[in-house]
Amino acid sequence: MATGFLTDTTVCIGCKACEVACKQWNQLPADGYELTGDSYDNTKQLSGDTWRHVAFIENPKKKRLTGDVDLVALAEDVKEDLPNGAELDGLGRWTFMSDVCKHCVEAPCQQACPTGAIIRNEFDNVYIQPDVCNGCGYCVPACPYGVITSVPEDGRAFKCTLCYDRQIDGLEPACAKACPTNSIMFGEVEELEKLAEERVAQLHDRGYPQAFLYGTPEVGGTGGIKGNHSKFILMDVPETYNLPENPFLPQDKVAGATIACGVAAGVLGAVVAWAFLEG
Amino acid sequence: MTDEKHRNGKPETSHHPETDPNRDDKNYYGIPPIKRAHWTWQIYVYFWIGGIGAGSHLLATIGYLLGWRDEAFFRTTKYTTLVAMVVSPVLLVWDLGRPERFLNMLRILKLRSPMSTGSWALSIFGSLSGLIATKQAAEDGLLLGDNFASRLAKLVPDRLISVLALPFGLYVGSYTGILLIATSVPMWAKNWLLMGPTFLSSAVSSGLSWTSLVLHIGRWGDGKTLGALKKAEKAMLIIESVLIAASLVRMGKWSKPLFSKKLGPLFVGGTILGGIVAPLVLLFGKGSREKSILASILVLVGGFLFRYVMVVGGRDSADDPESYFTFAKKDEKGGGRPEVSE
Repeated sequence: MATGFLTDTTVCIGCKACEVACKQWNQLPADGYELTGDSYDNTKQLSGDTWRHVAFIENPKKKRLTGDVDLVALAEDVKEDLPNGAELDGLGRWTFMSDVCKHCVEAPCQQACPTGAIIRNEFDNVYIQPDVCNGCGYCVPACPYGVITSVPEDGRAFKCTLCYDRQIDGLEPACAKACPTNSIMFGEVEELEKLAEERVAQLHDRGYPQAFLYGTPEVGGTGGIKGNHSKFILMDVPETYNLPENPFLPQDKVAGATIACGVAAGVLGAVVAWAFLEG
Repeated sequence: MTDEKHRNGKPETSHHPETDPNRDDKNYYGIPPIKRAHWTWQIYVYFWIGGIGAGSHLLATIGYLLGWRDEAFFRTTKYTTLVAMVVSPVLLVWDLGRPERFLNMLRILKLRSPMSTGSWALSIFGSLSGLIATKQAAEDGLLLGDNFASRLAKLVPDRLISVLALPFGLYVGSYTGILLIATSVPMWAKNWLLMGPTFLSSAVSSGLSWTSLVLHIGRWGDGKTLGALKKAEKAMLIIESVLIAASLVRMGKWSKPLFSKKLGPLFVGGTILGGIVAPLVLLFGKGSREKSILASILVLVGGFLFRYVMVVGGRDSADDPESYFTFAKKDEKGGGRPEVSE
């Protein structure tokens, strides 16, 4: 049985309850109190200490605001003419997205790990065994989503465990439990896929043809990774959410690169031998 | 990355300019979509020293196979390999987040993880080169004269072991390139085919230059050896320059970090001009001891800078959202899909 997440960004309200629940349950330290100025997002990104991250994407209507803008009127979506020729069209749409480890079917971090610390557990989730990881950090650049990260103070790499401990006890992950709008759904991957299909069809019917499921081999986001156990319903191109359109499995190139090195070794050895015979 | 009109303090909407839907370069506040490797200075120093060790071992083995008779040459190459293989693991363990767990690298062998195969190759090659150098030390009387250990060391079949160790040594010299390409970093992954061969050619040229440098400085080498080394150095530098040029072609626009304000002078001036062109001019000109010494030093410095700019350039490449997103596009030519048939 494979478990995973389905994160429906269309109903996310950006409350960050998932971030807080994750930090509390997994006893993760704070990230400091930096104010980024990037909308209301002061978490910035997933890291070794942050396993859920809510992205805040401000999505104004296509029409641009010009002239001297009254921000109060703007917030109240006033349609009347304003002095100095200012035009208003309201705030437009907010886009929120609670990002998390994608739990790839063919996980690059797991294939990169030289110690075997990263495994697939009985729920088919990608899990780092903290007692085995020696902090080589090679999983970090391998991850095509920038999820797994070294924690300098600790030395090891960390990421979402999909609340392995809670799942063993039959509980759903802390973030899914805390989500007030059910934007984060947890369950068996096959069931979630069905739910996602229905929801995307529903969104299409309602006049949002841009809605799609990110993380399946058909829709993209899956190069050689063969899909993600943690999928997302998105309303814009993946890059808007800081996700790659078509990530790939880096280890697919290892065999070819090794053969190239073998050929090169033969040629270079022969050249040195030639120089020694001639010299 | 950001339009000029957003930068001069006059955004055209009241919304955050970085997520303005009218921009065509979509990203999330310029935050890197992938994480860069944490690797610090130990890593590129290791790439360099490990390469010198691997190159020296190749020379010693070819010397054996061709029946070379220059004691100073063998002494230099064997001790170089030994020292390199003692220093390398120290640097690598140092760089680990949990150094006390370094042995976990050897609890499993994963053929698709260059970090795993590299650790194994380094362990095997290091042990074998230790045996070879121990015999050399016994013959040189460095094991405190004629005692049991020294007599035991003299029984080591060093020629056979040299040949057995050669594949592992060559892998140590080249897997560092594979280590870089098997990641999601655009600049590295784009050059998956040639990164390993380029690193290996640089390893061999560094090994040649180091050996030639030591033999020249100590005035130990016989003329025949020095001539052969010089010839090999010239050939290797030409091969290396071709491989670097081909690598740049394969990297395409993703090679941008190599020509940045920070790395450009080091890469163009240090690696290409200083580490390849200048030594070639010196070596092809009328030979003298001083010129050879200078050429060797330049090659060694250039080889070090090559590894430095490759590692640091990869960090910059990972930090650039546009670079990664154009790389991981579905249909764009030159996208990230592996060209290897599965």
